[in-house]
Amino acid sequence: MSVEQVQASAGKFQRKIQWRNAREYVAAFAVVVFFGYEFTRAADSLARVGFSLIIAGMCHMVWQLHSKGSWRPLPKDAGLSSCIEFKRRELERQRDLLSHVWSWYLGPLIPGLAVLIVDFSLAMQGHVKHAGLLVAAYALFVAGIFIGIAKLNSYAARTLQRQIDELDEAGR
Amino acid sequence: MPQVDQSRQSRFEETVATYGTALERLARAYEADPETRRDLLQEILIALWQSFEGFDNRCSLRTWVYRVAHNTAARHVSRRLRMRKHFFVELEDVPELADGTEGEDAAVHRDALGKLYELIQQLKTLDRQVMLAYLEGMDAAETAEITGLSARNVAVKIHRIKQILARRVQSGTVQNGGAR
Repeated sequence: MSVEQVQASAGKFQRKIQWRNAREYVAAFAVVVFFGYEFTRAADSLARVGFSLIIAGMCHMVWQLHSKGSWRPLPKDAGLSSCIEFKRRELERQRDLLSHVWSWYLGPLIPGLAVLIVDFSLAMQGHVKHAGLLVAAYALFVAGIFIGIAKLNSYAARTLQRQIDELDEAGR
Repeated sequence: MPQVDQSRQSRFEETVATYGTALERLARAYEADPETRRDLLQEILIALWQSFEGFDNRCSLRTWVYRVAHNTAARHVSRRLRMRKHFFVELEDVPELADGTEGEDAAVHRDALGKLYELIQQLKTLDRQVMLAYLEGMDAAETAEITGLSARNVAVKIHRIKQILARRVQSGTVQNGGAR
């Protein structure tokens, strides 16, 4: 491969990376569109606040994923790092992302969901029997899902930490 | 086309001329699919070209080239792993694996070198890197510098690799030392 060819390929490769990253955000964008649509249909201002908070939380989440977790080209100083050092840095980045899932992924969605649950509860008062119980069950269900996601991520982070420990051991 | 730094250009050309074939072997050790392997080799060459901007002789060109190539290839493997579940094995588990997967029909149709690469592709990244370095004729010190493994661990792994290769030569699976 000549220098000219590699320069041309580097440009194409960069665009391929950008496209690959963009695809990762499509799902988040679809969720934002859905909640945006719900926002326009909301009957009261509390619901609109809830949907706005969820959209803001999603945007925060996508931004964090972009800045910390997106796939990027090899750093220019990759030749200064041994394979273990390089791999270790990659694993640490992934581990930190997984172990701080409350701060960038789940946490930002909680205010919006809490407001929507309150709004849901107020809307049911006087219309449905045992409304309080129903809302509590719904809130517990959502909390259970969140805790489950956090636990799965925490487990994955511990697995990565074990791999990091193995690398440290191999380098000693 | 933008102005190209002459030393960067000549370093890249020297790399392709000197290590081009070795890099093809390295790509083969990481990727079984020929088409994806071509992409990986291209990715390695692009990474090398971009990395030479920061090359300042703090290590030899050879060490730099292999580090960049292995780091790029290891990332490629991680990406592939995320897409499909795949398990790699330790050097210690190789004989059992080899004995268990060698069907007679398959053995007839596969060439010895192809089998060696098939074996390497199943190894965990660090084991794979040591085995490749060994097959490329690198000494333990250079292998340690590229991989970051301790000299003791490199020695242990090389000892194990020699045992595996000797066993395979005896059984006729690898002839004439494979890629070396």
